[in-house]
Amino acid sequence: MHTPSTAKPGTRTITMKIKRCDGPGKPERWESFSLSVTTGQGMNIIAALQVIAAKPVTVEGSRTTPVVWDSGCLEEVCGACTMVVNGKVRQTCSALLDQIAPNDGDVVTLEPMSKFPVVRDLSVNRQRVFHNLKRVSAWVPIDGTYALGPGPRETPAEQEVRYTLSTCMSCGCCLEACPQFNQEPDSKNWDTAFLGAHAISQARLFNSHATGKELAPQRLDALSGPGGVGDCGNAQNCVKVCPKKIPLTESIGAMGRAVTIHAVKKLFTMK
Amino acid sequence: MSNTPVSQSSVSFLDRHHLLLRRLHSLSGIVPIGVFLIAHLVTNSSIMWGKVGLRGDGADMSLAEGGAFYFHKEVVWINNSIPHLLLIELTLWAAIAFHSVLGFVYAFSGRSNTRNYGYGANWRYTLQRISGYIGILFIFYHVATLRWGWSFLVPGGTTWSHHYAASTLALSLRGGTEITLAGVLVSAFYFVGITLLVFHFANGLWTSAITWGLTVSQRAQQQWGYACAAIGTGLMLAAWASLLGFFLLDPVQATRVEQAYYQKYGQPIPKRHHLTDQNITPLKTEPSTLGKN
Amino acid sequence: MAATGNEKRVIVVGGGLAGLAASARLVEAGVGVDLFSVVPVKRSHSVCAQGGINACNEVARQQGYSEYEHFDETVYGGDFLADQHPVLEMANWAPRIIDVLDRMGVPFNRTSEGYRDLRLFGGSLFKRTHFSGATTGQQLIYALDEQVRRHESEGNVTKYEHWEFLWPVIESGRCVGIVARDIRTMQIRAFRADAVIMATGGCGLIFGKSTNSVMCNGAAAARCFRAGVHYANAEMIQVHPTAIPGADKLRLMSESARGEGGRVWVPALKRPDGTWGVHPRSGQDPKTIPENERYYFLEERYPAYGNIVPRDIATREIFDLCVNHGMGVGGGQQVYLDLTHKPKEYLQKKLEGILEIYEKFVGEDPYTTPMRIFPGVHYSMGGLWTSFTPGSYTPATPRTKHKSGTRAPINAEIGQGMALGEFNNAMTNVQGLYAFGEVSFAYHGANRLGANALLSCIFDGVFCGVSVANYVRSGPSSNKPTKDISQSLYDGAVAQESAKVKKLVDAVDTTGADDPATNPYIIGRELGVEMTEACTVVRTGPRLERCLSKLGELKARYSKLKLADAGGWTNQSMAYARSVGDMLILAEALALGAFRRQESRGAHYRPDFPDRNDQEFMKSTVARCSPSGEVSVEFVPIDATLIQPTARTYGKKDDKPANPAPTRPSDASGANVPTGSLAGAGV
Repeated sequence: MHTPSTAKPGTRTITMKIKRCDGPGKPERWESFSLSVTTGQGMNIIAALQVIAAKPVTVEGSRTTPVVWDSGCLEEVCGACTMVVNGKVRQTCSALLDQIAPNDGDVVTLEPMSKFPVVRDLSVNRQRVFHNLKRVSAWVPIDGTYALGPGPRETPAEQEVRYTLSTCMSCGCCLEACPQFNQEPDSKNWDTAFLGAHAISQARLFNSHATGKELAPQRLDALSGPGGVGDCGNAQNCVKVCPKKIPLTESIGAMGRAVTIHAVKKLFTMK
Repeated sequence: MSNTPVSQSSVSFLDRHHLLLRRLHSLSGIVPIGVFLIAHLVTNSSIMWGKVGLRGDGADMSLAEGGAFYFHKEVVWINNSIPHLLLIELTLWAAIAFHSVLGFVYAFSGRSNTRNYGYGANWRYTLQRISGYIGILFIFYHVATLRWGWSFLVPGGTTWSHHYAASTLALSLRGGTEITLAGVLVSAFYFVGITLLVFHFANGLWTSAITWGLTVSQRAQQQWGYACAAIGTGLMLAAWASLLGFFLLDPVQATRVEQAYYQKYGQPIPKRHHLTDQNITPLKTEPSTLGKN
Repeated sequence: MAATGNEKRVIVVGGGLAGLAASARLVEAGVGVDLFSVVPVKRSHSVCAQGGINACNEVARQQGYSEYEHFDETVYGGDFLADQHPVLEMANWAPRIIDVLDRMGVPFNRTSEGYRDLRLFGGSLFKRTHFSGATTGQQLIYALDEQVRRHESEGNVTKYEHWEFLWPVIESGRCVGIVARDIRTMQIRAFRADAVIMATGGCGLIFGKSTNSVMCNGAAAARCFRAGVHYANAEMIQVHPTAIPGADKLRLMSESARGEGGRVWVPALKRPDGTWGVHPRSGQDPKTIPENERYYFLEERYPAYGNIVPRDIATREIFDLCVNHGMGVGGGQQVYLDLTHKPKEYLQKKLEGILEIYEKFVGEDPYTTPMRIFPGVHYSMGGLWTSFTPGSYTPATPRTKHKSGTRAPINAEIGQGMALGEFNNAMTNVQGLYAFGEVSFAYHGANRLGANALLSCIFDGVFCGVSVANYVRSGPSSNKPTKDISQSLYDGAVAQESAKVKKLVDAVDTTGADDPATNPYIIGRELGVEMTEACTVVRTGPRLERCLSKLGELKARYSKLKLADAGGWTNQSMAYARSVGDMLILAEALALGAFRRQESRGAHYRPDFPDRNDQEFMKSTVARCSPSGEVSVEFVPIDATLIQPTARTYGKKDDKPANPAPTRPSDASGANVPTGSLAGAGV
């Protein structure tokens, strides 16, 4: 769990190498910024970007525009600040420089996620992530926000499973690392392109709720169709990069089973 | 917006039967292809362990002779005793064609990323696709040269015959009576091909359990992973044993064994189309202590 | 646009708990919703709430708790500054709100029998806090997000995510729409609406670093303020005692760490006279500091409570030690919160979640190294001023404070606190412009009780949402529908906002001179430092005066601002630069309110006026902004007709109820305060 920092006390200079792009269709370029970091200050990538924004001058000494990025809670619960750091996708708020760049002269490369269209610099458009939640009807179909008594009772064990699945913050890490999930700029194809681990796992979450189950056939139809759970290639990168440690591969297995049973049932009822 | 139903006609055949095709692809890899692979490798590896299989019957034979004798016996049994062999064969070819064509379609939809995410399962994902590509190439060569008689692709030009299965196979792999460079290359290709195909099968066995939902928990996936690794290791040993056995087999000696087989069971010796320039006499063997075959 | 073509449309600005609850309610009432948010709504700041959500429940009820008691606690906790009728209604609705959330599928923690589990929380002797792990806020907002996504897919909600609210469109005192900007394309557009709900959350960014998310800059509220909406109790800012200092923000460390035995100390040397002085090796490895050189200041100053003194006291002590005496660890603004004397298995069982956060963000192992913490700005009790229609419960004279555990004087009945569906519930002084959730000043008075924030957000949505629906259907707007209002009004509003952008673009720094005096990031940073120093835990008249003049200086510098980016596409520096101007004006209202409120009440502590002064200041501080940007403050009487104010003396011996109920989980007095009662107070 605990990753001890190997950074020596004192101040060191590191380089932030950032892939930049002024907007959709604009050329990509790399810019490097020099940054002074003092060990033990808890400096993370977001703080580094804030420093650069205040004085956007590259290592070559030329003035540039401040880097654009997405962030939110900075506590790893909102899912906004997903980027590719040194080649791997992760939340940047929890990327501490004392850990990822402990030595003088270390270079940290920052790239936007590659599976979503770049808006500008490190900011990408992840609308498709939320669209995929609609595809699997990721909600409990309640009658409304009126007081109609308590919800269904459930055991602590059931709650624990649902809670873990419900911590998914739609950050997109599982999609970025997935070899089967690819960029799809044309939203017309979103309904047939691979859903990805997060949506499959959300389908499992709502299928395991007493009221949410009502929509299970609809969700399983979506999971059986093009872009459904069958498109998973079992590379299992999703579960490795999930910042919330959600058992995504178990969800894929569970939904694989549900889809199998659903298909057999449909075969015999000819629906 | 999102819930607009997509009209049936505008959807491709692949999309309309998405799940069915996915599942048939998965199933076809196990039955019949996987089952055949097991049978095929077990039979072929008998070139190494056949003497043991002969029990007392092969007491007067060397290890290589016993292997060749047992293997030959198996081949004859397959060709003479399995009913509807051609139908089985056609089914198998159809299954391989189906599995590989869909496999290509599916594999092309992915983008390997082991460079940044070098996890074990991700490497297996990538290798599954590579092994599919090379594997189908190998199967094509294997079937074309040994089954369809495309002898122009065989070093030394040997035409494989099930009447002389061991000797003609040894000739094909060695590139002649003696081992040639071309033979080494062909055998190396066989090594790569069979290794990848065994991996492809074992890993496919592992992923199919997740696909069908047989293994759900991380622990179940891990345990079944060990089981698949064991199955894969066993088949790998069989595959390598087969290759090594035939590569080291002396074709002349093998032919003598094959002739001895016919003699021993009182069958006419089939006409030989290989090693026609040599006068090969059947190996001397003791009368069989086993039942007549 | 909406597929159902709802005739009436409401704009909801902000997609946190309040905005999403309001959206769901409005759609159910047949009103179309245009939902604006600077971030995808699922990423709103509500996700950061940890501890839970309060509501009377059957277990507590059978021990003598009631909705009335919840109401009483909230008013008392807020030091009698909140308007009381709305608080009563919120408490009455709380159990129903829990039920609705439960039905939505929120994975509330369960008892072994499968009922919703409860935990103790600050300000109550009863377990009345429902929770979902240590991320209750995240779970609640996800449930509401899912419901709104469902309405979106059915065409009744149109989301404008990555759109920034710029200005309310007001016609003769009535709000008829907004001007907003797509923060990606930079397009500025006006949107018509029959009513507008502001649900834009708090303003922690004014203080630079806080426990808030990066978008909680109060800019939307400030823009309404400038447009003529009153802003109340701006000076009431909650500072949480234990936050994890970070380079970019302060992360909350739940009070349960101290509840489970955590000790707060700094390295110090004891002088011969018994006082403590600065330690020469402070800041070096804490494990090398011998026991007799560790100053357990809370335990020493408060022998009865020790480390679990109430939140405001702990905050003041830590602040005083570090800021006034320079005795923080390494001379900086941090003290140790030490759990290393506790067995690891015990800690893992009780506190693993929060200790993991510490490990992850600080990079140190809290099981073996004392945690470094410091108070952090957490929540704004103040906000846009809103009105209400009192409900049917109106006693002749206010009652005395309710004795904990005794039967409630009145039953919980909907409509007693506020009249359901009246147009003006949660409406600001501008007709048709509503304020829901943290951006509203209602419910929490001078101090918010833990786990009441989530409740107030959702209560606003589901209760006051009905008022909005009624207003757009049959209110004054039905006489002149918004669609009949001249387009020129909207075009004018767009032109006004475009001119502001042009002014900023024209001020782009092309010289590369990089003058810190006119750099928006530097101005923002200086603002944060100044506000944290002058307007958080300890506020004095002279310091506030200096603060006001510093704000004047920053405003002057801001007027000569130089931007580093003139780009016309996703220009974040421009958005930030604009928000700095908004933060400056809100900061002024805050500092002025703090200066004018010459008393100490709740979170507002003035050493120069250490006592509460009900005579003069049991009133809301209402700030107004003139069209030219002048901020003025006046004190407006509050609705204190239900409970008489009493001294707020948590835990002191004389506060002990005369007749403690035998079923009570614990005694109210001194050191016996249950450790869990302060736990997880992160909401």
